[in-house]
Amino acid sequence: MSDNPILSVRDVRKTYGGVEVLKGVSFDLERGQSKIVIGPSGTGKSTLLRCINLLSPPDSGNVVLDGVTVEERGINQIRAQIGFVFQEFNLFTHLRVLDNVRLAQRNVLGRSKQEATRRAMEELERVGLSDKLEAYPAELSGGQKQRASIARALAMDPKLILFDEPTSALDPELTGEVVQVMKDLANAGMTMLVVSHEMGFARAAADEVIFMEGGVIVEQGPPSTLFTCPEHARTSQFLRMISHEHQEA
Amino acid sequence: MVFDTLVAEFPFLLRGLWIGIQLLAALLALGFVLGITLAVMSVYGHWSLRLFAVVFERIFRGIPEIVLLLLFFYGIGELLPLSPFVAAVLALGLRSTAYQAQIFRGSIQSVAGGEVMAARALGMSRLGAIWHIVLPQALRRSIGPWTNEYSAELKATSLAYVIGVVELTRQASYIVSNLQGNTLTVFAVVAAMYFVVNRLGNAGLYALERRLTIPGFEGRGAES
Amino acid sequence: MLEFIEFGKTWMPFLLEGVGVTLGLWVVAMVLGFCLALLLVWGRVYAAKPIYLFATAYVEVFRGTPMLVQLFFIYLGLPEIGIVLAPFTAAAVAIGLNTAAYQAEYFRGAIQSLPAGQMVAARAMGMSRFQALRDIILPQAGRRVIPQWSNEAIVELKYTSIAYAIGLTELTARAEQVGYQTFQFLEAFTLVAIIYLVLTGIVAQSLDFLERKTRIPGLTYTGGKME
Ligand SMILES: Nc1ncnc2c1ncn2[C@@H]1O[C@H](COP(=O)(O)OP(=O)(O)O)[C@@H](O)[C@H]1O
Ligand SMILES: [Mg+2]
Repeated sequence: MSDNPILSVRDVRKTYGGVEVLKGVSFDLERGQSKIVIGPSGTGKSTLLRCINLLSPPDSGNVVLDGVTVEERGINQIRAQIGFVFQEFNLFTHLRVLDNVRLAQRNVLGRSKQEATRRAMEELERVGLSDKLEAYPAELSGGQKQRASIARALAMDPKLILFDEPTSALDPELTGEVVQVMKDLANAGMTMLVVSHEMGFARAAADEVIFMEGGVIVEQGPPSTLFTCPEHARTSQFLRMISHEHQEA
Repeated sequence: MVFDTLVAEFPFLLRGLWIGIQLLAALLALGFVLGITLAVMSVYGHWSLRLFAVVFERIFRGIPEIVLLLLFFYGIGELLPLSPFVAAVLALGLRSTAYQAQIFRGSIQSVAGGEVMAARALGMSRLGAIWHIVLPQALRRSIGPWTNEYSAELKATSLAYVIGVVELTRQASYIVSNLQGNTLTVFAVVAAMYFVVNRLGNAGLYALERRLTIPGFEGRGAES
Repeated sequence: MLEFIEFGKTWMPFLLEGVGVTLGLWVVAMVLGFCLALLLVWGRVYAAKPIYLFATAYVEVFRGTPMLVQLFFIYLGLPEIGIVLAPFTAAAVAIGLNTAAYQAEYFRGAIQSLPAGQMVAARAMGMSRFQALRDIILPQAGRRVIPQWSNEAIVELKYTSIAYAIGLTELTARAEQVGYQTFQFLEAFTLVAIIYLVLTGIVAQSLDFLERKTRIPGLTYTGGKME
C-alpha cells in the first residue's frame, strides 16, 4: 500500500444496543481507486459508511481522510469533502433539482450563487439531467433521482464518494442508467467506496472487492481473483447466492 | 386558610361539574344521533341531502360557540323561551352534530365498497347492508377522532357560562366573587377538575377502542 | 325578511366597528401563539430533557383545560399577584398562550412526519444542525402544516368572541348591545353570526389560496384535524 492513501480506516468498532455491529474494520483507499463492498444484509456495511463521516460515530478506531483525522471538531468541513449517495436518494423534497445541487455549495462551501450554479449545471449535465433543472424530486423517476443525488454529491468537489446501495431502491430496468454514471465516474478517476451487489459495476469498474460478514472483512482482492477463486468458503457461498438472485430478477 | 375555603366550597364545584357533565352527555348524544344520520344521508342519499349536510356543517362550524349560545338563548328564546340548559344543549349539540357528521362520513367512506356489494349480493337490502356491515366498522374507526370531539366539547361546556348555566366555570366565578380573593387558587382547581375529567374520558375511550379492535382492522389502538 | 334587511342596514355599521377589535385581537394572539409555538416545538423535538418535560406539560395543560378558565385565571386571577391586564391584553395573552399549545402540536407532527433521511442527507453534506433546520426541515414542515394551521387560525378567530366574557367590546359584545337597545336579539345575533361566517369564509379561502400557491409535488399534506 502506498504511503498516503486518501482514506484510511483503522480498527473501527461500533456497538448498537449491546450488539457489536463492526468488530474492528481496517482498509485503505488510494486516490482514484474504486472499491466495492459486498456482504449479506445486516452485516454492518451501511454502518461502516456512516462511521467514516461520523453520521454514526465509531466507538473506537479511527478514520483518516487525506492525512487529517476525522473527528467531531470541524466535522462539517470534513463531511463536505466526502460525498454520500443514499439508497433512498434523500433529495430535498422542497427544492427543485438545481437548488438541490446548489444548496450545500452555498451554505457549506460558501460559494457565490453564480459559481454554485455553474458547478451544478456541469454536474447535472454529466449525469444527463440538464433538462430537469426545474423539476421537483417527486417529478423524477427513481433513476433520475439517483443521478440527481450523485450530481449533488459531485458538485461539492469531494475527495471521495461513498455509495450505500445506490441501485437497491430502483426498479431493475432503471439500475442501468445509474450504474453507467458510476462506471463513468470511476473511469474518470473519482475515488469511490461503493456498497452494492451490482456485479456489472464490480467487474467493469471496481479495483478491489471487499467481502464483509458479521462485522468483519472476510477477504478482499481484485474482482478477477475474488470472483473466480475466493479464499474463503463463505465468500464463494455468498457469491453463488447473489448470482442466483440476479438470475431470478 | 386557602385550604379551609377550598374544602368548604368544593361541594359547589362538584355540583357545577355534575351539571357540566350532564350538559356534555346531552350535547354529545344529540350530536351523535344527528351526526350519524347526517353522515349516512350525505353518503348514501340524494345529492340534495349531501348539499344540506355541507351547508349545515359550514354554518355550524363557522359561527363561534358563544354566538351560537347567545343566539339560541336570547334569540330563539324570543319566540320560544328555553331554559339556559336546554339552549346550551341545542346550541352546542347542533354544533357537535356538524363535527360528528364529518367524523362519521370519513369512517363510512373508509369502509371498503366491496363489502357492501358482497352484502347486496347475498340478498341484503341497502339499509340492511349499511346497518349490519358498514356502521359496525365505521363506528369502530370513529372512536379515535371521536375522542378529540369529546375533549373539545368538554371544554366547550364552560362557555355555557355566558348564558347562565350554573356549570363548573360559573360556580367558580360565584365563589370568587363571594370570597373576594383566592381567585388564582379557585381557577387552578377548576382547571385541574376539567383536566382530570378530560383524561378519564380519554382513557375510557382508548380502552373501548382497544376492546373493540378486530384483527386485520387497523384502528389507531390496534396492537398488532 | 325585508324587516331584517332594514335592521341590518341600520345596525351593520355599528357591528362592523367591532370587526376591527376582533381582527386585531386575532392577529395579536396568532402572532404571539406562533412565536411561542416555535419555542415549544423546539422544546418538544430538539431540546434537553428538562425543557422537553416543561414544554410537554405546557401543551398538556393548555390543551386539557377550557380557554375560558384560562382567560379568567389571567384576567381575574393574576391581579392577586399584582399583574393587572386590560381586557384586550388579557384576551390576547390567553388566546395566544392557548393557540401556542395547539400550533406546537401541529408543527411537531409536521416535523416528525418528514423522512429522517432529509436531516441525514443535509448533515452528510456538511450542513450544521442549524442550517439543516433552517434550510431543509422548516421549509418542508412549514408547507405540510398549512392546512392544519389554517384550521387552527379559524378556530381562534371564532374564539376571540371569548373576550366578550370579560367585557371587551368586540363583535359579539356589540351584537349584545344592539339586542338590548332594540330587544331584537334574534336579529342581532343572526347578523353577527353572518359576519363571523363571512370572516371565517374569507380567511379559509385566503389560506387555501396560500396553500395552493406554495404547494410542491411530493410535499402535500394527508391527514386530518378535528377541532
Ligand atoms: N441506528 C441503529 N440503531 C440500532 N441498530 C442499528 C442501527 N443501525 C444499524 N443497526 C443494526 O446494525 C446491524 C448492521 O446494520 P447495517 O449497517 O445497516 O447493515 P447492512 O448495511 O450491511 O445491511 C443491523 O443488525 C442493524 O439492525
Ligand atoms: Mg445497508
